[in-house]
Amino acid sequence: MADAPVTPRRHHGRELLRWALLGIAVVVLVVFLLAQRQSVDVSYGRSPAATAKIDEGSAGELSDAGVPSVAEMTALVAAEPVVRLPGSTARWNEQRVREAAGDQPVRILVAPPGLDEDERKRVRDVKNATVRVIGTEVSGGIYQAVPDTLPGWRAQFATADVTGLLVGLIAALRDAPDPPEHDELRWRDPTERELTAVAADLRATGLHLGAGATLTGVPGDAARNAFGDGARYVALPAQPFGEPVPRYGPALAELFPGTPIVVMYGLWIEYHGPAADDFAELAGASFYGQFGDRLSRYDYPQGNVLTAYLNRVTDLRYSGLFDRPLPYRPIDPLRVALPALPWLFAGCVATFLILSVRSLRRPDGLGIRRGDPGRGGTPARLAGLTALAVEMSLLTDARSDPALTRGIVKLQAARAALDEELPDHHARTLFNEAAEELDDAARTLGIASYRPDLYLRGRLS
Amino acid sequence: MSHTLLVWLVGGVLLVGAGFATTLLPRWRARGREQRTAWSTARAAIDSAAVSRDAVTTRVPEAERLLAHAEAIAAGRGGASAARAAAEHAREADRLWRTHQ
Repeated sequence: MADAPVTPRRHHGRELLRWALLGIAVVVLVVFLLAQRQSVDVSYGRSPAATAKIDEGSAGELSDAGVPSVAEMTALVAAEPVVRLPGSTARWNEQRVREAAGDQPVRILVAPPGLDEDERKRVRDVKNATVRVIGTEVSGGIYQAVPDTLPGWRAQFATADVTGLLVGLIAALRDAPDPPEHDELRWRDPTERELTAVAADLRATGLHLGAGATLTGVPGDAARNAFGDGARYVALPAQPFGEPVPRYGPALAELFPGTPIVVMYGLWIEYHGPAADDFAELAGASFYGQFGDRLSRYDYPQGNVLTAYLNRVTDLRYSGLFDRPLPYRPIDPLRVALPALPWLFAGCVATFLILSVRSLRRPDGLGIRRGDPGRGGTPARLAGLTALAVEMSLLTDARSDPALTRGIVKLQAARAALDEELPDHHARTLFNEAAEELDDAARTLGIASYRPDLYLRGRLS
Repeated sequence: MSHTLLVWLVGGVLLVGAGFATTLLPRWRARGREQRTAWSTARAAIDSAAVSRDAVTTRVPEAERLLAHAEAIAAGRGGASAARAAAEHAREADRLWRTHQ
């Protein structure tokens, strides 16, 4: 036998290892299966920005303004080509709108921002209005006009200018080609006095609130996440349409180099400062692209808009763009281990298989054990009993013959059992039967020394 | 992903297969050995009975019938229980012949 003798203890250890490996394999499999859970919660690098989910009215976007009944509004629109309901803010370049309308009659109904669902429905039910403007949301027929460029959003939210939208919508209603874009907004440099006042506020508190701004303070958490090193904020009310707008951003960026500066004109937010070139456009476009629709319809306080914008900035920062280092994230051990799991599993399975095959190859524990150390061993007993039978066969007579023959038959069966590697106890039973027959024969012969017990004892001692 | 998926699938199949093999193979082996042991016993008993039959001068029809039955069972081969039945018959026949010696 090439195999080293396997002691019970070693065998026990190997068996333990086998089942431990099976357990590990199963655990690995379960971990793998659990890690397969798909999640729809996608976040840029686990950004801590609050999720932007807004219910109507929960963020103070509804104003006190209301609208008259549908019948009253229909009468108003029938009487005048342009009806401004109280509280409405939208303005436009009348010259350009008239040109766009041409000789078609265009009736415009302007409603205030921040109407609730029911009030907006009433405005839409005024059938004789060609164009409806709710806040700065412009719709008519089956169309709704929305800006898709930064200047477009800027005009809409900084000065409530809907000229471009009206022109575009009227062209669409008349099946005319889209008119070229034309930015109505005019910039001017802020005067020395204005700039000094703002700069003084920014130096003192980091926040300047213009008269009429609805911002009350900088949202703490969102601001800390977006600009960890601090930023300066300027909040101004929506600017009057048609007048040049003071351009604080670049001037302040010059005054406060290296500091992020956020300037709000109404609901329009501008970023100036470090990385503004590759940052401001992306932040603004993605923010207004997503929220522009709601912002145009409702009357949000500036604070809420600023919070949402800062959350967007945080998301962008955590996306790893702009070569900014991401905040430290602890390593998820599962993520690190996941690629190794299949191989760990394969290793466990392979070793388990090898050990299983070994355990199958080695004969079962209580089977044949050649060379019983107790009574001279089974082969020795076979030899002894065979020799006894041969000796007895010389002296046998008719009376003892059958017993002797039966004994020999049993001995042969025992030998065959040994050759076939049948269990030891079976061979022993056959030996015992053979010994009984020989004993019988010896007694019949009357030769006590031929009784197997005595004979074997004498032989083996 | 596909090759790791293959690892999981093949590994799982191998594990299940190994489980069946390690449970069933020893059981089959034990059953085979038990059967062979029983037949070995039965053959020894039949041979022994044949010796006893040859040793008696008188005929014992009952014993002959039992032995013939045992030999018929042995000729048909069968499981461990058939072998045990054959051994039982042969032993009984052997006992009958010995009492007629």
